[in-house]
Amino acid sequence: MRTKAGKLSMALILTGVLLAGCGNSGNNAGSGSASGESSAAPSAGASAAATAAPAAGEKVKIVFSQGADQTDGTKKLVEAFEAQHPDIDVEVREFPNDSSQMHDQLLTILSGQSSEIDVVNLDVTWPAEFAQAGFLLPLDRYIEQDGIDTNEYLKGGIEAGYYNGQQWAFPRYNNAGLLYYRTDLVKKVPTTWDELLKQAEELKGKGGTKYGFVTQGKQYEGLAVGFTELVNAYGGQIIDDQGNVVVNSPEALKGLKKLIEIQTSKAVPSNLNTFTEKETLTAFIEGDAVFARHWPALYAQANDAKVSKVVGKVGIAPLPAGDARSAAALGGWLGAISKYSKHPKEAWEFLKFLISEQGEKIVAINNTQTPTYLKLFDDPEVQKASPLFASRDFVNGLGSAVPRTITPQYAKISGLIQVEVSKAIAGQQTAEQALANLETQIKAAVSQ
Amino acid sequence: MPLKKKSKWKEGRAAYAMILPAVLIIAAVALWPLLRSFWISLFDLRLGDPTRNAIHYSYSMNVEQYADRFPGLLRAVKREAGNAGGGALSVLSAVEKKLDEVGGGLEDDRAFQERLTKVNGLLDAFSPVPQELRFIPVDNAKAERLKAELQEIRKELAGLKAAGSLERPDEVIGLTNAVLDTFQAPNFVGLSHYKDLMSGRRLWESLGNTMLFTVFAVALEMLLGLLIALLMNRTFRGRGLVRAAVLIPWATPTAVSAMIWHYLYDGQNGIVAKLLYEAGLISDMGTLLSSGSRVMGSVIMADVWKTAPFVALLLLAGLQNIPASLYEAAWVDGGGRWKQFLHVTVPLLKPAFFVALMFRTLDAFRVFDLIYVLTGGGPANSTESISIYAYKTMFSELDFGKGSALSVIVFVCVLLISMVYVKWLGADVVGRRAS
Repeated sequence: MRTKAGKLSMALILTGVLLAGCGNSGNNAGSGSASGESSAAPSAGASAAATAAPAAGEKVKIVFSQGADQTDGTKKLVEAFEAQHPDIDVEVREFPNDSSQMHDQLLTILSGQSSEIDVVNLDVTWPAEFAQAGFLLPLDRYIEQDGIDTNEYLKGGIEAGYYNGQQWAFPRYNNAGLLYYRTDLVKKVPTTWDELLKQAEELKGKGGTKYGFVTQGKQYEGLAVGFTELVNAYGGQIIDDQGNVVVNSPEALKGLKKLIEIQTSKAVPSNLNTFTEKETLTAFIEGDAVFARHWPALYAQANDAKVSKVVGKVGIAPLPAGDARSAAALGGWLGAISKYSKHPKEAWEFLKFLISEQGEKIVAINNTQTPTYLKLFDDPEVQKASPLFASRDFVNGLGSAVPRTITPQYAKISGLIQVEVSKAIAGQQTAEQALANLETQIKAAVSQ
Repeated sequence: MPLKKKSKWKEGRAAYAMILPAVLIIAAVALWPLLRSFWISLFDLRLGDPTRNAIHYSYSMNVEQYADRFPGLLRAVKREAGNAGGGALSVLSAVEKKLDEVGGGLEDDRAFQERLTKVNGLLDAFSPVPQELRFIPVDNAKAERLKAELQEIRKELAGLKAAGSLERPDEVIGLTNAVLDTFQAPNFVGLSHYKDLMSGRRLWESLGNTMLFTVFAVALEMLLGLLIALLMNRTFRGRGLVRAAVLIPWATPTAVSAMIWHYLYDGQNGIVAKLLYEAGLISDMGTLLSSGSRVMGSVIMADVWKTAPFVALLLLAGLQNIPASLYEAAWVDGGGRWKQFLHVTVPLLKPAFFVALMFRTLDAFRVFDLIYVLTGGGPANSTESISIYAYKTMFSELDFGKGSALSVIVFVCVLLISMVYVKWLGADVVGRRAS
């Protein structure tokens, strides 16, 4: 009896120490409880610090966080702002460019009620989630005070920052999925997915290419984007405007079936299910692919002679249409103010500058990011920065881009889509089963 | 006699007092987080949802949000009523009256009224509302009644929206939702997270993947580790160099080595993929990270490369504890190399071998970083381990209740494994020393 108890306690202690010492899972739970407690603990420090308002004439420092910027656009942006506001100092804090990592880090910081960030860059799918969690300052009051006309901005971007009747984030730059093609190989640009597939199969191997078409097929956010695009192209939706889950519809089924047909066709690489944006980009600029689905950022790199083998042979077009229309997923980033900022007024000044004509122009020219302030598309300097901005097709395509489902549960829904669609493509279940599973799971997720 | 007994008792007490610090430390670092996780797993706790981001035993309200939202909702409804006519107007005035009742019902309460005034004062002065002022308890029955009324209002507004008689429908409906969100319901759910997880397929699939990974990776690592250890235990020229070189994989951070393997396995440019393809072992360079069954093999291979040296090091320490005289004696008795291995090395290496085996099994069962970087759990979830599942639930979806339930399940599995080891194999390791 004694030895048995001894053995049991030995086992308990061993596992306990292992879990606590270097455990991922065990420790997660521990830190979870810790942050849960801290959010319930009185934040006396924050209120004490906030009452100590800066004296007149004193410099205020605000922190702006965004993904790492390889160009000097952000530097110029901050310099221009500080020139106008000598009493405000802006510090840029860089985050990983992998947006899911940035998401998780931001959530950790904000759920700890830390005031270390004032202005924050949000990916197009996050505002609802962050707003619902209470991490953001509603902007309506400021927008009204300063007379900013949201109609002068790209509608899809404004919508992405609107949740439960309030504007929580303001679009800084937007983009949409595009079809890239090789102008030396493609004679007639395909306008439907069927045409694209046919041409991709025919042209594969011509001009030194290995693949007809490359896109994002890995089980990650990119796959959820691809699913959204195809489902919308065939007239389906995931969640409708009334908030009903309508993913299990004949239209969505057509879209998913087409997605599976494309991703398993002979025209795409056999390991398409490892492809993210990075692999897609590499394949296209190495001259290995005839067609590619990517974001506007690829254009600049594909025409950069230092890295690209296809300079001057790059064409762009709106994504092909399904039965219903051409639907490109809306991407892009929005600016928002942290609820825990100690300097909300100064933060708003900076955000206002970011979305002003001048601010967006700096970013458009230096980072070739697509402005959301529509008048900028008529600006000759902006048009010169990238031929995309001068292209009517592109600007119109942006206008018809579909936002991914706007819901605080987006991360969860996207995760479910990734799993079920990936399984359907791998042939482990039929498209019908995948949609039926998605319907029950998404319903459970949004009803909770 | 009684005197002796007493001193024995004293002695025993002293002994207990001496191990007390150790017991306390173990309780603090191991048992407390565990119990806390289990406790959290009984609640519907989500960090991303303000009504569920803390444990609530009874109803309460977020006064700050109420002060921010309720007047806005009233204003919005009034404005809609000002613009509406006919049937819509009567519905809207009914809604307005109901809203007044909801607000009145709350503000009747003296404590609530005082708190609201205080919070409003702070908000008007642009100063943050301290946490202890933010929440106020509300009677359960009252909260449920008010919530039901608000839901009724939402339904009526939705009806008006469908009829097209609202100017800005998203605003009033959105704000009604926002006001509903200021109620914090008690979120105790008992064991329902466990029930949901056990009845779903994903838990079992991820456990299956974890098992598969653990069994194959550990078996290969023990075998290879033993071979390397035997080799390193011999004297040969450059032994120091080999010993150092063998440790490089182990010394590389897992995230880095996983990135390296990602490049090596890459379907377009990977060297390992190319070599295996040239050797005719795979039909296509792309399959290493893309075809369901092979991906797990690739993950196991990367883990074996990394961890076999660690096992080798543990076994080497065991080998060096075996006195050379025993080999000499065996040799004098006429035992050949093989006999020496079987009758000297194997029995004397057993304790070290089991320790390494136990460590590796428990460690492999919690595999996370390698898979996270190499495949992210895909394709088609074929490499999702239980820790990846727990991570995604906790940190991507911020569902801490369910995530805690998952980590408790991981704990139970690990506990079972260690019990099996201690019972069947660890008798040598634990039992003999203890007696």
